[in-house]
Amino acid sequence: MNNVLIISKREVTRLRSRFTGRSRIVVTGVVAVAITISFLVYQQDLVLSKSLYTVGVSSDGPSITDQRFNVLTLDSKSGYKKLYQKSIDVYIDGKDVVSRGDQRSQYATGALKQYLAKQELARISDEYDIDKAFPLRIEVRHLKTEKPSLNAQPRVSLSDILGTRETPVSQSASSEPLAPTFDEPAAQEPNDTAGTESPQETPPRVASATDAAVRQQLEKLESGIRLPEFKAEFIADEEIIVPSLMNPPTPLAQVMIAFFYIVPLFFVSVFFTSSFMEEKTNRKLIILMSAPVTPLQIILGKMLPYLAYSIICIIGITLLLRGNVLLGLAIFIPVMLFIISIYLMVALLYRTFKDQTFFSVLAVWVITAYLVAPAMFSGVSDLSYISPLTLAVQMFRGESFGLTEYFLSTTPMYLIFLLALFVGTRIFNEEYLMGFRPLHTKLAEAVYLAMNKNHLSMSILLLSLFVIPIVFMVQLASIVMASNLPMPLSLWALLAVSVIVEEMAKSAGIAVLLKNNVIKSRRRIVALSFISALGFLVGEKLLLYLALSVVSESMFTDAIFSAGLLIAPLTMHFVATCAVCLLTSRLGIRLYPVAIVAGAVIHTLYNLYIIGVLL
Amino acid sequence: MRAFFILTKRELKSIKKEKTIMLAILIQFFIASFSSVILIGIMSFYDPASIGENTRVTIKVGIVGDTTSKMLDLLEDRNVKVTPFADVDKAEEAFRSGRVDTVMFIPDGEQGVSEMKLILPEADTSKTLILMVLNDPLKKYENHLRAANGVQLYYDRVEGKPYTNYEFLYSVIIPILMLFPAFIAGSIVVDTMSEEIENKTLDTLWSAPVSLNAVFSSKVFAAIVTAIMQCLLWTILLRFNSFAIQNLGLVLLFSIIIAAAIAFAAALIALYFKDRERAQFVFSTALLITAGLSYFLDPSPFSLIARLSVGDLYVGATDVLLYIVPLILLATASFTFSGRLLAAKS
Repeated sequence: MNNVLIISKREVTRLRSRFTGRSRIVVTGVVAVAITISFLVYQQDLVLSKSLYTVGVSSDGPSITDQRFNVLTLDSKSGYKKLYQKSIDVYIDGKDVVSRGDQRSQYATGALKQYLAKQELARISDEYDIDKAFPLRIEVRHLKTEKPSLNAQPRVSLSDILGTRETPVSQSASSEPLAPTFDEPAAQEPNDTAGTESPQETPPRVASATDAAVRQQLEKLESGIRLPEFKAEFIADEEIIVPSLMNPPTPLAQVMIAFFYIVPLFFVSVFFTSSFMEEKTNRKLIILMSAPVTPLQIILGKMLPYLAYSIICIIGITLLLRGNVLLGLAIFIPVMLFIISIYLMVALLYRTFKDQTFFSVLAVWVITAYLVAPAMFSGVSDLSYISPLTLAVQMFRGESFGLTEYFLSTTPMYLIFLLALFVGTRIFNEEYLMGFRPLHTKLAEAVYLAMNKNHLSMSILLLSLFVIPIVFMVQLASIVMASNLPMPLSLWALLAVSVIVEEMAKSAGIAVLLKNNVIKSRRRIVALSFISALGFLVGEKLLLYLALSVVSESMFTDAIFSAGLLIAPLTMHFVATCAVCLLTSRLGIRLYPVAIVAGAVIHTLYNLYIIGVLL
Repeated sequence: MRAFFILTKRELKSIKKEKTIMLAILIQFFIASFSSVILIGIMSFYDPASIGENTRVTIKVGIVGDTTSKMLDLLEDRNVKVTPFADVDKAEEAFRSGRVDTVMFIPDGEQGVSEMKLILPEADTSKTLILMVLNDPLKKYENHLRAANGVQLYYDRVEGKPYTNYEFLYSVIIPILMLFPAFIAGSIVVDTMSEEIENKTLDTLWSAPVSLNAVFSSKVFAAIVTAIMQCLLWTILLRFNSFAIQNLGLVLLFSIIIAAAIAFAAALIALYFKDRERAQFVFSTALLITAGLSYFLDPSPFSLIARLSVGDLYVGATDVLLYIVPLILLATASFTFSGRLLAAKS
């Protein structure tokens, strides 16, 4: 521990020496300006589609204040003419909206429709009583879909929900409010007084229980959508829906949280890698390695200051956004460890700055996509819990989440951190760190160094298990990429890529051992192939099980572990891996790609057979 | 001049050798593809109107209560399968056995407040989908009730297409694709310059019969060439996906001007700080600042690309050529001060 602290102290001194004198002033100035500008931009309503549409409006038309529209006041004649000449996208002639049939004009009309509908809502809620302006309220209730007899517990039935008022008593004019407890006082609020000028001769209306809900939603609409609103689900349980006030959630909150937390964490990590890189280049790292300290101590020591800076950032940002600091730390510490472990690997694998920059950029994108994309579904699908950002969204909404959700999203990150530390310490030697070799050779060496040569079977089994998340991510990315191709082709490409990736993942460890002449006998190759196939299958199913167990009440979980579905794929994985490894041993490591293709063919034939059976 | 081209070639070769450019393209390819998946998949959650366009989901709704309501017609207009039930228990049975996806209770009468009830399955995803499909007919029914209650509503018959995807593509994706190469160009310049300064190879090159400016401009030029290549690739790929960019020449010219300006600025930063750590940090932060500040311009670079690529007639060559001014200033500053900056102690 003492050594770790000494190395940390040295790291802090080194970093500090970077920012002394004039450069400290420049850097502080730059950071201060950056914060000020971000704040200023945030104060404005960020509109990216400024003046994207050009709209002509007649003098008796509505005023349009939305920044997306470039508004020109035009009389009827020139308005129609310009519309026809395509110099405006849409023309508002008094109360009529005129458009052309082309796409551009139609999109502009769509955007205008949404804007005008919002303006109209504001107008009618000013001009009319709330019961006239918002005459439709929908109470949403939930029921389980399967038959009640399946479960011993008493269930709510539909007639319970529809209650005694099965004979449709229409409205609030009946003197029976729905939920008389808390809504009535609110219902007496200002808007009702406006109703005195109402010319209707109906008896004075008893406020409906749903009025409060309507008012609340109206207020929300009027206050505009700003960041602090972290509503991200489509609809909460037992909500009252007013169709025109039902705003779909925007993914803004998720993106904003990601931006606020992840950008500073990335900056800190960049300093971490740069420091590593620099010491690698000027060979100070080698000197450090000759001192009586372990590689783990060096890595942890160099990492510690940056972890501390990151934690300070997390606390600061959580306080700024008025979140719960402890929860914020619990959610973002694993994210920080995840980011820093990826950056550690980049620093250990690469030797030039350019490579490092590019891989860092790649890492930024992949990590951001991994964090933000699932979080977009928060409240929509439970699978969103793959990303810790979903937890953050819930924290800021003041909702609670369970330990299961917490561990689902954070365990992979903790595991990746531990794995990075393990691999990092194994490859931490002068030859590896200073060597200039192509990426695939470096990766192969890393795999080789990470394996324990005395326990080959165990190493291969663990390797197969650990590559599963990587395979999963690559396959996920290839789905995304394949979306660029036309349909049947994209499916074939996808099948091919996933098969090749899986075959590589299963055989990589054995191929590396073959390359280094650690194993020679055919029997050993076959045995290791079996272990690798087994590890891969177990890992694959475990991941699927975890993912599906979150999506509750899924019948798939049973299906995964039914015996018939396990033996066949195990055989296939084994046969394919065995083929790849035996071929590699026969043809030599140079022809490893050929062996992979052969294994992939076997795998594909099996897949096609299964698809045929299923069809 | 010959030295300049030899050096440029050397730079491009090193970029090619390290496969960095390939990776850059791969990253952007990933962004582009990812966005298209987001566009069709995730974005539809946020724009209920587009779900009807992108999917052919049929929702089956059981109706209890007023089975002669106008709501039924509106649902059928939207291709929703409607089954009226006279009896609540039968409706419940149909719901539990999955013959209908949702049950809607419609109260009688159109005067005053109508309190409808909607029974949804507990499963998350299907619930969201049902609500998205029902959203439009419900809004129309609400307008119908407003009219029945004497509320005069204008512009309620305006149609048009769901625009979210269109706005997202032209005001986010295309500007990102066209400006990201500029950011990469700047990063490359910072890296190659600081690397040569730190390894002291710049001094060696400088002592050879080439001027510092030749070394320096060849690096900037190589970075710009990579940016141009990427932008061209994007336009081809977007064409493949049948997204047309209007004013393509101007859009490309603009991206090149921005890439060049950023590359020169990056070179100045690298020469000033001399080590990669600080240079990259200051470069990234300065870029964030400039991007933030440029938001206040009218049109901002982002919105200029968006407006040019949708074919807006109110922006054109003048707006693009204005950006040559900062480029010239940065280039002049670089050529004038490069020697002095390099000689200065870091």
